[in-house]
Amino acid sequence: MTKRLLCGLWLGLTWMLVGPARAADKPAATPPPILSAAEKEGKVVVYSTTDSAAAAPLLKDFGALHPKITVEYNDMNSTELYNRFVSETAAGGGSGDLLWSSAMDLQIKLANDGYAQEYKSAEAGSLPDWASWKNEAFGTTFEPITFVYNKRLLKPEEVPQSHAELVKLLKGNPERFKGKVTCYDPERSGIGFMLLAQDAGTDPNFADTIKTYGKVAVKLYTSTGAMLEKILSGEHLIGFNMIGSYAIGKQRKDPNLGVVYPKDYTLVMSRIAVLPKAAKHPNAGKVFLDYLLSARGQEIIANKAALFSIRGDVQGEYTASALNKALGSSLKPIPVSASLLVYLDQSKRLAFLKQWQEALGTR
Amino acid sequence: MRGLRLYRVLVVLITASAVLLPLGIVLYQSVLDAPFFQPSAKLSTSAFSFVFSDPDFHRAFATTALVAVGMTLIAVPLGSILAFLLIRTDLPGRRVLEPVVLIPIFLSPVVLAFGYVVAAGPVGFFTLWFKEAFGLAPWNVYSLASLIVIAGLTHIPYVFLYTSSALRALGADLEEAARVAGAGAARVAFSVSLPMVRPAILYSAVLVFFLGFELFGLPLILGDPGGLLVLSTYLYKLTNRLGVPSYQLMAVVAVAIIAIAFPLVYLQRRLIGASARFVTVGGKGLSPRPLRLSGWRWPALALVLVWLAATVLLPLSGVFLRAFVSSWGEGIRLAQVITLENFRELFDYPNLVRGILNTLGIATFGGALAVAWYALIGLANHRWQSGWSRVLDYLVMVPRGMPGLVAGLAFLWVFLFVRPLSPLRSTLFSVWLAYSVVWLAYGMRLISSALLQVSPDLEEAGLTVGASRGQVLRQVTIPLIRFGLIGSWLLVFMIFVREYSTGVYLLGPGTEVVGSLIVSLWATGAIDIVAALAVVNVLLVAAGMGFALRLGVRLHG
Repeated sequence: MTKRLLCGLWLGLTWMLVGPARAADKPAATPPPILSAAEKEGKVVVYSTTDSAAAAPLLKDFGALHPKITVEYNDMNSTELYNRFVSETAAGGGSGDLLWSSAMDLQIKLANDGYAQEYKSAEAGSLPDWASWKNEAFGTTFEPITFVYNKRLLKPEEVPQSHAELVKLLKGNPERFKGKVTCYDPERSGIGFMLLAQDAGTDPNFADTIKTYGKVAVKLYTSTGAMLEKILSGEHLIGFNMIGSYAIGKQRKDPNLGVVYPKDYTLVMSRIAVLPKAAKHPNAGKVFLDYLLSARGQEIIANKAALFSIRGDVQGEYTASALNKALGSSLKPIPVSASLLVYLDQSKRLAFLKQWQEALGTR
Repeated sequence: MRGLRLYRVLVVLITASAVLLPLGIVLYQSVLDAPFFQPSAKLSTSAFSFVFSDPDFHRAFATTALVAVGMTLIAVPLGSILAFLLIRTDLPGRRVLEPVVLIPIFLSPVVLAFGYVVAAGPVGFFTLWFKEAFGLAPWNVYSLASLIVIAGLTHIPYVFLYTSSALRALGADLEEAARVAGAGAARVAFSVSLPMVRPAILYSAVLVFFLGFELFGLPLILGDPGGLLVLSTYLYKLTNRLGVPSYQLMAVVAVAIIAIAFPLVYLQRRLIGASARFVTVGGKGLSPRPLRLSGWRWPALALVLVWLAATVLLPLSGVFLRAFVSSWGEGIRLAQVITLENFRELFDYPNLVRGILNTLGIATFGGALAVAWYALIGLANHRWQSGWSRVLDYLVMVPRGMPGLVAGLAFLWVFLFVRPLSPLRSTLFSVWLAYSVVWLAYGMRLISSALLQVSPDLEEAGLTVGASRGQVLRQVTIPLIRFGLIGSWLLVFMIFVREYSTGVYLLGPGTEVVGSLIVSLWATGAIDIVAALAVVNVLLVAAGMGFALRLGVRLHG
């Protein structure tokens, strides 16, 4: 009895000493020579698709940790990021030192085309296996792909909990849902294409699913913002393939937005970081990458930016571990791998789009 | 004499290089099979065959042509009647209305279109209110017809701008004669005044028709849910169609739009040539007395106000409303969602203040510099009988043909690959140059309408007393157009405040401008901030306008 008590006391004490100090307070494991070289460089140029407002807490914390390295943060959309980077690299005048983009396929393409620099980050060991590729491309977030609906206009019992239920709901009320369902346009949005292609590989009834979307005349957009806005206003009722982090950011401001993690499968996307070979501040880029992957950076990604941390050892609502606990094996992370390149092949891509358009009846 | 010629040729050369560098890159890119900067790029017509055999391209082209024709048919008659009412008649409140009718030019089309969605979309507040009152709301802002009507109504100010300056220059004697003979105001307008300014009206018709081809913001927002495709949104689609941006395909579409510009410029030149026959103002014109509308005064005013309500009040109320609420739409009681949170968030946004300062800077100083450049071109071209002058006319119009997306990329490339320019890329100069070139056609028109009002008599008087052509320019022409120049500055100021797509690729720390911030925030979904920022943008424009009017600047020549 006393032994157990003592044991418990000891455990409690250790937790108090070690627990709060946990992973989060440990600085990123960047080798000292790289760190001092980075401080000499004094600057890191980040090209990112994460908007400045969401990234602000990360940048602030990085600044506190590395006061000698200023971050020049450029936010832009993923196409602009790609265009700027390849053009600037071709001109040889220097470009970003770290590219951080949600267009997973374009990031892998950059690495595959030889633009990326290899870096064995000590922090990468804490990533799941599927989340890095050849030490050249690193997943940094764990963002679920969700359904989003209008709570005022959709009754709780109607809310579909899986892709199959969504199809059933639409088939049951084609008139009511006509023009009321929304998703990314795979033709105009790279991320929309990628998500749909993942659906095709995961949903056993994909052909029937997209035909159903066609029957209710699904409305196609290029930006999450426009879709969330129109779901909230009641112009549309429900959207699928919505990036969870954006939806939750919006939900915090407007509780009328409902977010569903589909039970049959929830795709997970990850913002990929790449260090370009032609970086002007290569060491500072490495320090920033290590920081993004470190427990401290991930803690902020999870709890301040609501982008969902990818490391298993970070706790909180918006973390991979919380999602794993809640959803288990229905989580389907999109692997950071060469498989993303398949649909950058022109003929395969056009064939897939043709299938989509035929199902929708727009061609 | 030699000095003048040197100056003229120099101006042509500088302008040509500013226009032809980006244009040349686009042309070159269109005949390659890969990005031009890749060593593997080969000459090929594959991009042309891909685009021209794409059914989407044909669909987009047909829709675009329809939109261009439709909006011209709406904007030209209404715009010229508006000009006649405000310039030649005793319409109540015309002094106040004159600057107000120009407002649609200074609103970013993306903001305008979004405003229409919030106000008159399927669950817009106006739509809901109308439904409650009348049981149904028989319109759909996402239809092709709506796009045409909205585009037509918002382009009325362009027609007004050109027609009104021509009407102002028109001697009053002919109208006076018609009136004495017993004609009413309508008869005078349709039989005398408007036919006299036919070249200006046709000129603006050609311009509006052309603007229809490069329309982007309106169809982007209003065509989104319905899948309505026009050339510029087709171009947008091409950036993602193949997964990786395919510059050659985008270049082909840009080339197609530019190709449409050429016959239109030719047409415009013919019209200007013809306008010599319409010169009616001599050394001293009869100062015109306004025509009395008598019983038609108030109906005419009502017509103008209805148009303003539809093109300014409706969309702006949508944007302003959105900026002050947390949500809107079906089942929302607006009183419960009013908030200042969006503005608080906006002012927390990193670099916002710098963005606003940059915008003001580029609009004020950049605007002045641009007007100076336009004036140099205008003066060089002034009474110049030479083939070069024809070249200049084409040069200024062609950049307008490059859709903003392509123009932005082309300028990025210019600043990257033209070595002497590359140090300037991350400065505001790059943004300024891009803006100035893209708005060349518009600015030149402002300058030349000021110049057209200078009667040759006055300059010839200078020549007869022994001054050289250069001296006449400096001592007679420039002083005479100085008010026109100040007015142009103001118009360019407001255009630069609202400009957005051109600067996107030149955006970086230190070169943020409000217009481009709006676009980049829109994509990430921060619509709360976008609405608040749009309000700030509109207030900046309004402040500029109010300030200038207080100083007594006349808005046009």
